[in-house]
Amino acid sequence: MSEMETRLAKCFLAVFPELATDEISQASSTSVPGWDSLAVVTLMAVVKEEFGISIEVEDLVRFDSFKGILNYLQEAEEG
Amino acid sequence: MKLIEALKILEDMKRRKGGARTCFLATGINPLHLNTFLAAELSLLFTDQRIEIRNGLYGDFLGTLDRLAKTDADCGIVLIEWSDLNPRLGIRSAAAWTPSAFTDILSTVRARALQIQQTIEETCPRLPLVLCLPTLPLPPISFVPGWQASSFELDLRAIVQSVSAQVSQCAQVRVVSSQRIDLVSPLRERFDVESELLTGFPYRLPHASALAALLAYLTRQPAPKKGLITDLDDTLWRGILGEDGIEGISWDLDHHSQMHAFYQRLLGTLATEGVLIGVASKNEPSLVEEAFRRKDLALSPAAIFPVQVGWGPKSQSVTRILQTWNVGPDSVVFVDDSPLELAEVKASHPDVECIQFPTKDSAAVYDLALRLRDLFGKSAILEEDSIRIESIRRSHAGTAVGDAANAAPTDFLAQIEAEVSFNFSKAPLDPRALDLVNKTNQFNLNGKRYTEAAWHNYFLNPASFLLLASYRDKYGPLGKIAVLAGYREGEKLIVNTWVMSCRAFSRRIEYKCLEELFAKFDVAEIELDYLKTDRNGPLREFLSEILGAAPWPSCTISRKALESRPRTLREAQKVTNE
Repeated sequence: MSEMETRLAKCFLAVFPELATDEISQASSTSVPGWDSLAVVTLMAVVKEEFGISIEVEDLVRFDSFKGILNYLQEAEEG
Repeated sequence: MKLIEALKILEDMKRRKGGARTCFLATGINPLHLNTFLAAELSLLFTDQRIEIRNGLYGDFLGTLDRLAKTDADCGIVLIEWSDLNPRLGIRSAAAWTPSAFTDILSTVRARALQIQQTIEETCPRLPLVLCLPTLPLPPISFVPGWQASSFELDLRAIVQSVSAQVSQCAQVRVVSSQRIDLVSPLRERFDVESELLTGFPYRLPHASALAALLAYLTRQPAPKKGLITDLDDTLWRGILGEDGIEGISWDLDHHSQMHAFYQRLLGTLATEGVLIGVASKNEPSLVEEAFRRKDLALSPAAIFPVQVGWGPKSQSVTRILQTWNVGPDSVVFVDDSPLELAEVKASHPDVECIQFPTKDSAAVYDLALRLRDLFGKSAILEEDSIRIESIRRSHAGTAVGDAANAAPTDFLAQIEAEVSFNFSKAPLDPRALDLVNKTNQFNLNGKRYTEAAWHNYFLNPASFLLLASYRDKYGPLGKIAVLAGYREGEKLIVNTWVMSCRAFSRRIEYKCLEELFAKFDVAEIELDYLKTDRNGPLREFLSEILGAAPWPSCTISRKALESRPRTLREAQKVTNE
């Protein structure tokens, strides 16, 4: 797991504490109970805080899975 | 606190076994992450309870105020932002900002502010409330440039200030300090425009975190410290008395030592608020006496007691001062310029809060004053606060009440013209009663503490009673020194709370309290909700004497048992009823 994945996993665990560690990388809006709009807003706030980035409203659609957010962060890092 | 930390705290909190503590947060904004931060901060203060935050509907500030007025929560918070007073003061409304609308906006704000005030005044007698005035900047609504305060803005601010000034006079209302918010959360870093538009949550996370911490603190203020022990040289004054002499020490602008006068003035203020001020100094006693006679001291020597001056370890001086004050080390702050002395005291008294006096750093002395204000701050000054130091001084003077009372209790108490008065009034509840209940340890029936709401609710039971005892003798008043609370159940009285200030020990007041209860309620026995605690030894000894054995939970004292006590132990004081 890369450092970015580890930090993102920490964010996921804070918002979805019921997730088992090995479930995080596969987590998505369809597989995680409680993945609702409030969870997305909270997840977005935690990710912004953890990674010090700003997230455009249009990009929120990508906040539908661990992999989607990870891709978003990698793109943001690459500029 | 970061949001991720707050979420972790809340997750850990779910495992707590204690009951729920509910806080109603009334606001028109979407409280979103503020709820999370607030719950986390409260859970750090109420360490054995699960915290539940309740809200009204987003955008329905008036409806939320109605719900607050009817809530059964343990505490309430009213958080106002400008858009709660009039939607045109927020960015989600599209209504016009024309100058012609200002009068209408002000009129709406005035009406809504009045509603807020009325709700708070009606709710606070049964529920402790915290009020927070708008923390977000006003939008550029007025026609003046941003660096000029418009009359519209000034009128708006005057309206909300007026409300807060009015409700701050209510006993159970605390208003968040705008100055403190400004210190911990810079104005331009508070408003999150994107978040406001996306979710209705208008705060940046650091601001929400800072605000939640302040709101939580006002919901449960830490117990104020009771005493401050200060060093003298390079602390109370600039210079070394033994080297510089009486005239060589200073606390003025001319000698660049004005911050020592500032510190002295702060101690003087604390003393008038009931804080015990003592001195622990390595010095020549006669020199200190002479220095204290200087007319230009900003702190009156009368405000200081005791003064421990000598060449022994300061920890021993601190020990003697704690004994004189009869307070626990965790209630005391020790201030000294020397790290060595601080370490020596800390080693012997780990619970004493030791703070270094930054002698030549004026800005740091100012910060120290802010810190001391936080440590000793309280919401109200009670009558007892103003007489505390004098009563301690008297009890350690030549006519030492403590020693004499132990030597010949009845004779002595008769000589000092002791007088106990009892007050059974429940409406309004005297704040001193809860103050005593929540800080007394030694003569305490069971160590149980109450929140303001729980205390108030206890007395809603018509069968409940509250007895507040006051004491005075020829040396002066001790003020309100004992509290008993309970309820009648048939021919029996149940006492759930019984505390007495340690200043009132050795005066047989405890016997008088029981006699008064038997007389007032005409019952055959009194059941005590007794529990042994680590510190209630004095109460245990008293009960053992009456019961003939160590007390046990729900132990009972009969009228007969009390009346069989030798009369000499029961008739030392004159009793009056208020």
